[in-house]
Amino acid sequence: MTGAILDLSKEAAPDGISAEVCVIGSGAGGATAARLLAEAGRDVVVLEEGRDLVGPERTQRDATMYDQLYMDRGGRASHDLSVSVLQGRVLGGGGVINTCDVVPIPDGVLQHWAVTCGLEDYSPERFKPFTEDALADLSASRVSESLVNLANAKLRQGSEALGLRGEVMLHNRVGCRGLGTCLIGCPIHAKRNPRMVALPKAMQAGARILTRARAVKIHKPSHELKEVEVRTLDPGGYHEQSKLSVRAKVIIIAANAISSAQLLLRSGIGNAHVGQNLMLQPQLPIIGIFDERIAAFDGIPQSYAVTEFEQEDNDEFGLWGFRIEGIMGTPGIVSSLLPFSGASGMEGMAQYDHMAPSLLLVPDAPSGQVEVSRDGRLTIRYTQRDNHRKRLRAAVEIAAKVYLEAGAREVLVPTLPPLVIRAPREAKQARHLAFAPATAPMLSAHQQGTVRFSASERDGGADLNGQVYGTRDVYVFDSSGFPTSASSHTMTPIIASSRMLTTKLLTRI
Amino acid sequence: MATANEEPEHDGLFSFLSRRRFLKVSLVAGGAILGVGGGGLLALRGRAPKVAGLQVLDAHEYQTLQSLVAVMLPRTPAIPIDAVPMDLPRAFDGFLADEPEHNVKDLQRALVLIELGPLVFDKKLATFSRLGVPERTEHWNAWAVSDSLVRRQVSIAMRKFFNLVYFDHEQVWPHIGYPGPSMKRAQGLTP
Repeated sequence: MTGAILDLSKEAAPDGISAEVCVIGSGAGGATAARLLAEAGRDVVVLEEGRDLVGPERTQRDATMYDQLYMDRGGRASHDLSVSVLQGRVLGGGGVINTCDVVPIPDGVLQHWAVTCGLEDYSPERFKPFTEDALADLSASRVSESLVNLANAKLRQGSEALGLRGEVMLHNRVGCRGLGTCLIGCPIHAKRNPRMVALPKAMQAGARILTRARAVKIHKPSHELKEVEVRTLDPGGYHEQSKLSVRAKVIIIAANAISSAQLLLRSGIGNAHVGQNLMLQPQLPIIGIFDERIAAFDGIPQSYAVTEFEQEDNDEFGLWGFRIEGIMGTPGIVSSLLPFSGASGMEGMAQYDHMAPSLLLVPDAPSGQVEVSRDGRLTIRYTQRDNHRKRLRAAVEIAAKVYLEAGAREVLVPTLPPLVIRAPREAKQARHLAFAPATAPMLSAHQQGTVRFSASERDGGADLNGQVYGTRDVYVFDSSGFPTSASSHTMTPIIASSRMLTTKLLTRI
Repeated sequence: MATANEEPEHDGLFSFLSRRRFLKVSLVAGGAILGVGGGGLLALRGRAPKVAGLQVLDAHEYQTLQSLVAVMLPRTPAIPIDAVPMDLPRAFDGFLADEPEHNVKDLQRALVLIELGPLVFDKKLATFSRLGVPERTEHWNAWAVSDSLVRRQVSIAMRKFFNLVYFDHEQVWPHIGYPGPSMKRAQGLTP
C-alpha cells in the first residue's frame, strides 16, 4: 500500500477521515513516528499546516521563502520581541530550514536526564541504539574539509590560534553543492532530512499526509476514539477555508514545543505543566568584518563550531556554557538583523560580502511559557535570565577575540546601540552589554520544554511514554518533552527520542 | 539604556500594540495631544494624496510608510538604489491583506504612533510625514534606542519588514557584493 500527500488548499478532503493513529506535525518527531508506525502496519494520517514546497519552488529568495517556510511568515517572536522564534511551517518541518547540523544528545545530558529527571529510558546505554538509528536516518557524516567555506575557516583559524577546542561539524547533507541557502530551503534536496527520508518511507508504507491542514483542537482526549478538529488553509497558508475532523485512537502531537503546547492549551488538555518550562536557547549573531572578500553566502553556512566553552554535565541543567558556530544568511535576513537604519544601515550592508558571521549558542534554563488567550491567540512569554546574559557576554568577548585573531578589521556586535570592537583589548566592553528587551537580534531555532516528560504528574506534563497526563493515548513526541536543553541542535535528539517513544508505543497498541 | 517597565501584550513580530497599550503610550503624551486637539491634529497631518489599488492601508497610512521608507532606506553613495520606485509601502499593504485582523489593527496603531511621534515624544508641532528629511531621520533613529519598549518594538518590526523586502531586490545586490541566488548563477541567470 502506498500513501499520498493531499494538499487541502487545492483538493477537497475526503469525507470522514479516520485512522488508527493521527500524527500532528511532519517534522523530525512526527515524520519519524509516522514512518515507524506505518512500517509496522498501522493506519496513519499526518496533519501538516505547511505545504510541500520542493525543488525550484525553493527560490532562494528571502521574501517568499520566509513567508512560506516559517511560522507566522517568519515573524514569530517572544512576547516583547526580544527573541525571533524560527519555527518551520512546511512539510518536513524544521529539517527543511535548518543548517543540517547533526548533534546528538551528549552523554552528560542523557545522564542528567536519567539520574536527575528520572527519565530512565534516556540513560546513555539505553538511548544509544536510538541515536545510532537517527544518525543512520540522517546519513550523518563530517563536513568535508573542501566544503568549509572561508567564513567558517576564519572562525577556525582564529580559534585555533587562541588554542580553543573546536570541530568541523557533523551534518546530514548528501550531494551538497554548497548553494548556501540552507536556512530558506535546499533547492536540490541535499538535506537527508525527514522530508527526504522518513516521510517518503512513511508514505511507501501507506501513511496518508494532509498538508495545509491546521489542527486547532483535540476533542474527547480521554475517550477511545479522539477527534481532531482541523481547518484547511488557502494555498498561501494565510486564511482558514473550511473545517473537517479526523478521528483516531492514538494522537501523536509533534508540532514543535511552541505549537504542541498551543494545541493542548487550546484543547484544554493536560495539567498545569503544559506550556511551562519553555526553553528558547536564544542565540546572538556576531559579525567579523574583513578587508578581504569573504563571500560567506557561498558554500555551507555552518560547518565549524568552537566547543571549548560548552559544558555537558552541569549539575542543574546538563547542557550549559556556550558554543560559537559560523553562519550566514541571504541579504534580506542579514540586513534585518543589523542594528542600523538609514545611511549607516546602507553602509553596513555594503560590507555584506566582507562579513564572516557567527551565532553564539547559549543554552538556557527552562523558564518561559506558552500561553493561549480565550480567543486562541498565542503568547510566547520569555524573559532572558541573568545567567544567560552573563554567558552571552562572555561568548561575545571570546568571539570578538577569535575574529580579530583571524584578521578581522572589526567585529560588529549587533546590539542597540551597536558595539564595534577593533582590538582585542576592546573586547572586554562586552561585559557591559545590558541586553535590555528588544535591543539585540536574538534568535531561537531550538525551542524545547513546554510538556516536560516526568515519571510523576506533579513534575511534568507527560509521562515516560510521552502520554499527556489526563488523557488516553494522546502523546507528545517532539522536543516539548525535553526537561532541559537536549543539545545545541535539536533535529537529531528529536528523531532519536521519537524513535524510542514510537518503539515503546508499538509494544502497547 | 533604561529598561522601560512596560507590560507588552502580543503574539508576534507584527502584533504588539494592543488598543490598551496604544492608549497607555499615547496617554504619556496626553498633554501634548490634548493641547493640540482633534481639529489641530488633522491640520497638522494635512491631506494625503489619493493612492489607487490599496487593499488595507488608507492614504495617510501609505504616506506615513513612504516617509518612513525614505529615511530607513535612503539612496547613498554606498548603495545608490532608490527605494521609492520599489513601492515598499504597497508591498506592506499586500502583506497586511493576508495577516490576521488583530495584527492589522496593531500595525495600523503603530502607524498612527509613528505619524504622531514627533508630537507625542518630542513635543514638536509637526507630524512625521511633515518633518524635513534630516529631522525625520533623527527622530526615527531615536526610536531604535529609545527607553520606551514600544518604540523599540515598532522600530524592530519596521526594520525587519522593509529591510527584508528591499534587500531582496536584485538591483541592490551588485552594491553589496551579492551575486544572486546560487542556482540562477549556476544556470547563468545572474542579475
